[in-house]
Amino acid sequence: MKRVTAALAILLLAGPPARAFTVEVKDTSGESVADAVVYAVPLGADGAALREPPPTAIDQIDKEYVPYVTAVRVGTRVSFPNRDQIRHHVYSFSEAKTFEIPLYQGTPREAVLFDAPGVVVLGCNIHDWMKAYVFVTESPYFSVTDGEGRAILGDLPARGYRFEVWHPRLKGPPSATATEVSVGDPARETVTIVIDQKQVWRPRRAPGAGDATYR
Amino acid sequence: MRFRSFRTRLLIFVLGLLLLVQAAVFAAVTTANVRNARQHVDEALALTAAAFDRSLAVRERILLEKARLLSSDFAFKEVCAAGDVATLLSALENHRDRVAASVMMVVAMDGRIEADTLHREAHGRPFPLPHLLEAARGDEFGEASSIEFLDAAPHQLVITPLFTPEPSAWIVIGFAVDDALARELRQGTGTHVSLLRRSDGGRWQPFASTLPDDARPFLGPSLSADLHEANRSLSMDLGGAEYVSWVAPARSVGAVRVVTVLQRSLQAALAPYMRLRSVLAAVFGAGLLLSVVGGVLLAGRVTRPVAVLAAGAERVTQGDYTQPVAVDQEDELGLLADAFNRMTRGLAERDRVRNLLGKVVSPAVAEELLSKEIELGGEERMASVLFSDIRNFTSISERVAPQELVRLLNTYLTRVSAIVELHGGVVDKYIGDAVMAVFGAPLAHPDDAGRAVRAALDMCGALDEINAELGLAGVGRLGIGVGVSTGMVVAGNMGSLSRLNYTVIGDSVNVASRLEGLTKRYGVGVVVGESTCEACPGMAFRELDRVRVKGREAPLGIFEPLGADDALAADLAEELAWHREALERFRARSWDAALDLFRRLEARRPEARLYALYRERVEAFRAQPPDADWDGATTYEEK
Repeated sequence: MKRVTAALAILLLAGPPARAFTVEVKDTSGESVADAVVYAVPLGADGAALREPPPTAIDQIDKEYVPYVTAVRVGTRVSFPNRDQIRHHVYSFSEAKTFEIPLYQGTPREAVLFDAPGVVVLGCNIHDWMKAYVFVTESPYFSVTDGEGRAILGDLPARGYRFEVWHPRLKGPPSATATEVSVGDPARETVTIVIDQKQVWRPRRAPGAGDATYR
Repeated sequence: MRFRSFRTRLLIFVLGLLLLVQAAVFAAVTTANVRNARQHVDEALALTAAAFDRSLAVRERILLEKARLLSSDFAFKEVCAAGDVATLLSALENHRDRVAASVMMVVAMDGRIEADTLHREAHGRPFPLPHLLEAARGDEFGEASSIEFLDAAPHQLVITPLFTPEPSAWIVIGFAVDDALARELRQGTGTHVSLLRRSDGGRWQPFASTLPDDARPFLGPSLSADLHEANRSLSMDLGGAEYVSWVAPARSVGAVRVVTVLQRSLQAALAPYMRLRSVLAAVFGAGLLLSVVGGVLLAGRVTRPVAVLAAGAERVTQGDYTQPVAVDQEDELGLLADAFNRMTRGLAERDRVRNLLGKVVSPAVAEELLSKEIELGGEERMASVLFSDIRNFTSISERVAPQELVRLLNTYLTRVSAIVELHGGVVDKYIGDAVMAVFGAPLAHPDDAGRAVRAALDMCGALDEINAELGLAGVGRLGIGVGVSTGMVVAGNMGSLSRLNYTVIGDSVNVASRLEGLTKRYGVGVVVGESTCEACPGMAFRELDRVRVKGREAPLGIFEPLGADDALAADLAEELAWHREALERFRARSWDAALDLFRRLEARRPEARLYALYRERVEAFRAQPPDADWDGATTYEEK
């Protein structure tokens, strides 16, 4: 809902002509890839005036971060409401944002400002398997693929873009996935980007910690 | 050496049989036991191997869990994220000691060492075991475990990612693999544990083992190069001690191969059997001893009586029947000894009878009687019969006491009988002082006649000795006459079946008796018939006369034997020639010539009765010549 709101806001602010564009992300075996961040970098100068991005939140529900992957624009404040009855200890050792919210309950008073682009990996000190990703991008045009591997980027001013994909399992840098697309052609409003995925190792989830899978 | 004695043979047989049976039992038991022990050890080893494998897996899991625990430590994550190598190293040492590990490392995701407690200066160097990283990268949870060698020291290494919460580095923890570990693994299994390594193309080398030091060097060479591929059971000899072994590939991902060898001493597994074997050996020894003793006793029960019997038989052979064999047993040998004693008594009886018989009859006759079925009747034989008689025995018997007469007779007959037997003759019977002897029956010799004549001469020759032995005072000298005649006789058993004599019957018997009677008349000791004379070549005789004895029509030439031809003295030969000449003249009725010769012979030998006899005869014939049919023979009417 929040993403849609953000997209709408962009749509409203950017002014016409703007169009929605669908990006499908698949892996090399043809499977749809969910939780992939798709962002568009305008080719050439972009005159769009940027407002401060709205704050967002990453919940902790049943000892999992929800959502798993969050894309934000640089300068976004993210809060971490704890919906469980137990405490959590959010931390990040990522270069883009190193922070720590020691054991707490409820919603901390201060939201965390993500002020540098990059990938921020969130963990919980007391639950090894809890993990979430915040992809901080300078582009105002981004979305995260749904369960079918589709990400809809709304209100893209008609012009040329370089689409890039980031995913927790992406092999190599996002620039390797760069796909140039010219938005504006009504006949072509979809593009498929195939990404290479690497193997990842999972921490074991403690028994009785819930049946939620982590992806 | 041949085993001749029965006792030895019996012993050898009994002991051989016992040994054979015992050896077969021993071999069967040994084979079965060794096979069972092996099988038992094999099964036990397979079970132990499974347990050992599980215990290794558990150990590995525990090590991994330790590693995971450390990697999840938030403070540690902070230290790792901080990037201060000195702090990181210090924290590593702290954590290493927390879990009692030997080594701990942090390796960056790109394979470079961040910190290493073994080599504090190793920051930035490549991790020396890239295959371990490779194995971890291929694992679902990014973990791996392997037995690896760090500075040639064996370690069980576990590797796990450091999640912050993304995998940001590798945590490597190593635990020393040494004899202490092998001992720990061995506990409760009773099994030797050895770990061996082999580099490519190299030999297996143990690096941790519970084997005794003297067995350890033999372990490596006993394993073939490709052993790490699968589990297998082996039997190996380690410096004289046999071990049943189970080889299992160990968890190792590197180029250095590692196997685990589980072993049990076959000797230890055989220990219960060894006790059984000792018992068997004791039973065997006791059985052997009992067999030897029993065999000796049993053989003695047989051989001792046999030896006694043999000695008895030897005594009997020597003619000693007086000692019966003493075998006090009630078995077959006792029966044999009883039979032997009865036989000995029988033999003694027979020998006594034979001795007596030999005294009653001549030994040769006794032999003849004993050797054949006794039956009446006889066979025709050429034989020479000898008769001897003591002259004037009747008047002698009148002059000496009867006892003295018996002594005289016995002495004389003993001597005379010995002479007869010496010459191969048989004393047929004694008739008072007379002896009848036969030469040629029952035993025949080619020179029976000669033997008879020589016996007769010896009898006369022995008279001096006999007289000296008798030393008869007042009796005078004993004189004898001997007659010998040769001819066909019938020799055999005469009489009735209940009482019989072995004797000879025939004309020669009568003639010999008559000739003996003539000796006194001619003044000679021995008179033989012409058939005897003819049967004695090489012997000299003096013709005495031609006589017609009672019961015979034909005149018979009679002779006096003079001994061997070649021993004749020259003057005696001359005398014989004269005598022959004189006899011829006499028979040719040339009385004067005959008289002259006989007178001269008489003058030459005045003691010779013969010449005087003929002189008287010639003188008588010259006075009254005989009838015209006178043939020169003298007829004797009396016996």
